[in-house]
Amino acid sequence: MARIELRNVVKRYGSFTGVRRMDLDIADEEFLVLLGPSGCGKTTTMRMIAGLEEPSEGEVVIGGEVVNEVDARDRDVAMVFQGYALYPNMSIYENIRFPLRMRGIGKSDQDALIRRAAEMVELGDFLDRKPGALSGGQRQRAALARAVVRQPQVFLMDEPLSNLDAKLRSSMRVQIKHLQRQLRITTVYVTHDQIEAMTLADRIVIMEKGVIRQIGTPDEIYSDPADTFVAGFIGAPPMNLVEGKAENGRFTAPGLVAACPPDISGRITLGVRPEDCRVVTDGPAELAGAVYGVEPTGETTYLTLRTGETLFEVKAARDARFDLGAPVKICFDPERIYFFDTETGVRLRAQPQRSAA
Amino acid sequence: MEKRRKSKGDNLVLRYLVLGSWALFCLVPILWFLSIGFRPRTEIITPEPIYWPTFSLDAWRLLLADWPIFDYLRNSVVAVTGSVVIDLILGIPAAYSLTRYEYRGRDDIGFYILSTRMMAPAIVAIPIFFLFRNMGLLDSVWALMLIYAAVNLSIVVWIIRSYMLDIPKELEDAARTDGAGDLRILWEIIIPACLPGIITASVIAAIFAINEFLFTLLIASTKSAYTMSVALANFTGGSDGVIYNAIALVSFLAFLPILVLIVLIQKHLSRGLTMGAVKG
Ligand SMILES: Nc1ncnc2c1ncn2[C@@H]1O[C@H](COP(=O)(O)OP(=O)(O)O)[C@@H](O)[C@H]1O
Ligand SMILES: [Mg+2]
Repeated sequence: MARIELRNVVKRYGSFTGVRRMDLDIADEEFLVLLGPSGCGKTTTMRMIAGLEEPSEGEVVIGGEVVNEVDARDRDVAMVFQGYALYPNMSIYENIRFPLRMRGIGKSDQDALIRRAAEMVELGDFLDRKPGALSGGQRQRAALARAVVRQPQVFLMDEPLSNLDAKLRSSMRVQIKHLQRQLRITTVYVTHDQIEAMTLADRIVIMEKGVIRQIGTPDEIYSDPADTFVAGFIGAPPMNLVEGKAENGRFTAPGLVAACPPDISGRITLGVRPEDCRVVTDGPAELAGAVYGVEPTGETTYLTLRTGETLFEVKAARDARFDLGAPVKICFDPERIYFFDTETGVRLRAQPQRSAA
Repeated sequence: MEKRRKSKGDNLVLRYLVLGSWALFCLVPILWFLSIGFRPRTEIITPEPIYWPTFSLDAWRLLLADWPIFDYLRNSVVAVTGSVVIDLILGIPAAYSLTRYEYRGRDDIGFYILSTRMMAPAIVAIPIFFLFRNMGLLDSVWALMLIYAAVNLSIVVWIIRSYMLDIPKELEDAARTDGAGDLRILWEIIIPACLPGIITASVIAAIFAINEFLFTLLIASTKSAYTMSVALANFTGGSDGVIYNAIALVSFLAFLPILVLIVLIQKHLSRGLTMGAVKG
């Protein structure tokens, strides 16, 4: 139904550039997540797709048609706004009905659609209320219901779950994904929560300061990060990044020595995820440090070590317990060590090493 | 702020005393002309103090018999209501345009509209007189309606605009993506969301219009255009000399609609000045 393309899209606000040179090809029926820290241009990108913001340069294409000149009301998208944007003078029922009314959907069909949308977000009992009489989470769900009540070409959701408590958030996540699969509507979803991104997305777009850092499936983003920004942004707790030096196939940093591809040298940052580390009692180990903190989560125990100036996080056994200050040795999974150029942050691929092995 | 909160407990009595005295000070003239209005004429001009006034409806009878009060009231109502309607029809779209659309000179236009309020009305009195004479609209309520509308338009635009500025832009964006056009957004989203502002602006414009004196005096010359405010000023009690109790009564009648209007918007006045009414 609707493939979305952004071709060389730039958005400037005066001398400030909110989005720079964005190229994006969103497949029909795809669930695409824009992920990045606050202020990186996610909302701006989304508003340009919706037609609420005009690109300073480039083209927005929906369903094969350049829509730069097409007004928002004629683009047939449904959007959940970051600030909810519920109509304050209308009841929740009227709010959800508004898009149906505007799109000329028959009166007889409206009621069933409205109730179905409200049930989905568990707001069935609040239909008579005005937005002012709802909590933040309820308003957010009302905004979501208003977007999913009809079947547009495109769903745009700007942090639609940011104000919900953890339990409701995970159940709404499942609901949204299920709905999207069922309706098969191209969806662009904005979030700064990486768990949301990983669980929902077909593909994730990671943005920083108006620039795309990486596009890929959740798997690719997680196990094949393109740079230190992506590596540090994805994963909870995030990847350990240790700055050091590489020479003759050895990477060294205070308390840390690891093998590295021989063609990598100079100022290098090593990255390894907490779950790819193992606590060892004897034998060779890459890292030695002292226990700085122990955080049991129930499911597992996270161990923070201090080596030199840096803190290093390790996923240990569920029942692992350590005294603060105790010396610990850590082994890395050799398949899952990443190297980055410290200066540029760019990932250095270990191609030669594999062929040599 | 700090101080005020501190003194809340211990100085409550003092505060009510001060506020009470001020209220009394403001109310005395009103109570006074009320009291005069319901007493016989003789009692008002006697030099002896009177402690137990006699109740009398003399002034009422005199008024209703001699003075075309209903003509004046009708003129006031027609001219004022009409002017407020004109102000809203012109003012709401103007305010919306000044708030939402971006075009060259927008802020200058906004300031120009406001500046029409800054000049003393007497400056344009002569041109206005000739203008309406040439249109054949002297001594006509329609002329008054137009003049009141013109005088108040700026304030109506600015009050409504300040409320519209408070409406988040996202609200309109949402309506637009939901499929609404400009007019529908104005009608279904903007106007309801700034209704308190529209009411406040209407009432303030109405009060100004009711009290308008200079232009009314200029345009009106008979009871076909006299409004309460000018009729009141010209009123001396009839052919038998100055009759104070009748004057007091007329003053009271002229004052009543304003009282009603103030009570109506009291809630919005205090809220309107602090804003933040439509955060959603
Ligand atoms: N209308 C605007 N005028 C000026 N700057 C803006 C405007 N809208 C957004 N920006 C700026 O553009 C950047 C990206 O904003 P936004 O897309 O809202 O970020 P995000 O949604 O990723 O948090 C921010 O730095 C923001 O301050
Ligand atoms: Mg945002």
